[in-house]
Amino acid sequence: MFELISTVFEVFMRTYPGFLRAAVVTLQLTAVGVILGTFIGLAFALMKISGSKILQGIANVYITIIRGTPLIVQIMFLYFGIVEIYTMSNFWAGAIALGVHNGAYIAEIFRGSIQGVDPGQREASMSLGMNRKQTMQRIVFPQALRRSIPPLGNQFIITLKDSSLVYIIGVAEIFSLANREAAQSFQPFESFIVVALYYLVLVMIFTYLLRWYENRLDVDKT
Amino acid sequence: MIIGENIHKSFGDLEVLKGVDLHVKPQEVVVLVGVSGSGKSTLLRCFNFLEMINEGSITIDGKKVDPKKDNLTKIRAEVGMVFQHFNLFPHKTVLENVIEAPVTVKKMNKDAARKLGLDLLEKVGLSDKADVYPSKLSGGQKQRVAIARSLAMEPKVMLFDEPTSALDPELVGEVLQVMKQLAEEGMTMVVVTHEMKFAKEVADRIIMIDQGTIIESADPKNFFENPQHERTRQFIQLVE
Repeated sequence: MFELISTVFEVFMRTYPGFLRAAVVTLQLTAVGVILGTFIGLAFALMKISGSKILQGIANVYITIIRGTPLIVQIMFLYFGIVEIYTMSNFWAGAIALGVHNGAYIAEIFRGSIQGVDPGQREASMSLGMNRKQTMQRIVFPQALRRSIPPLGNQFIITLKDSSLVYIIGVAEIFSLANREAAQSFQPFESFIVVALYYLVLVMIFTYLLRWYENRLDVDKT
Repeated sequence: MIIGENIHKSFGDLEVLKGVDLHVKPQEVVVLVGVSGSGKSTLLRCFNFLEMINEGSITIDGKKVDPKKDNLTKIRAEVGMVFQHFNLFPHKTVLENVIEAPVTVKKMNKDAARKLGLDLLEKVGLSDKADVYPSKLSGGQKQRVAIARSLAMEPKVMLFDEPTSALDPELVGEVLQVMKQLAEEGMTMVVVTHEMKFAKEVADRIIMIDQGTIIESADPKNFFENPQHERTRQFIQLVE
């Protein structure tokens, strides 16, 4: 046991400069995935609640396809489908794949939180003479956003971990580094323990920040 | 002020209102009573077009409303509504709740709206709560804020949909007091309630709705002492 800890520590000390650089790439992938996913998600959520059968149909097809296929397939599809045609770096192919993938899940989060706002809120707003747009902008969306923060936080953490799959198209994020380290050093076990620890620490930091933000929102409004 | 003629309303196969005629005069206080499921709340919701009638017509302040052509948003602004569950906006302070519609709909400037809001809060006895969020209020306080919020649009008529049904018994009085004061000031009101004491004291007319039709319409004295319909008699026995 002690021996394992000391070899893990030794691998950690030997590799941390590279891992820190790779961790930045992981965070960048996550950031793009989350931001792009949020925009895509918002657009498709609005389509789903628009009342237009055509827009709803488009959103449903998108969400069904993305949720019905593995992320790794989507990454490969985007990589070979787009990078080959347009010149795009592997990083951006992977980041966009993460964004597109997240968009489908985030769309459902937004839709759920918009529809989860008490119908009485809409009625009260309408009864005061506010039109549909004013009701949505000033009454429903602010409450929906608040409701969506915990599930969005979860989705961000999933994205952080899912970004490891981008190693398949050769983006130098932490999992691909761990993979290479494992092969080169003949210490696969220790290498993967080290990378697991990196993810664990990152997720814990994320979780802590989200918790802090949620609490702050609660304190403000109750 | 409100004229409803031959109002029919169905939800799917269920016909809730079966040809209701109701004429509410300016400054009149009409209390609608009836057992649950009789259609009284639905009728109230039809009057500000939260529900669309299937047949018949509704005239508000001399203007017959055509839900297909008319701007319902504008009509709703003139008809205040108070809900059983208050429906205050939880993300806004008490004052923000009250001035939301004047600022957003009437484009009233912030200072004027603030003054209006504080005046209305004073009227309902909640000046000191202007800057707190609704979650910090008791049910009775919430409902009084909801009344102030409705009044902020200076409606021509106020509809009350069981305004005290969700309140603890000890909080009912403060809400009824505000409503009574409104009635005394000459507000036209249509009130769905189970508070028979309030009906007796404040109503100009009590209307009994049963299975989607009006079966009794009388001033409080006649309604309670000399009901014409058997179902009304049963209802009065039940609530007294």
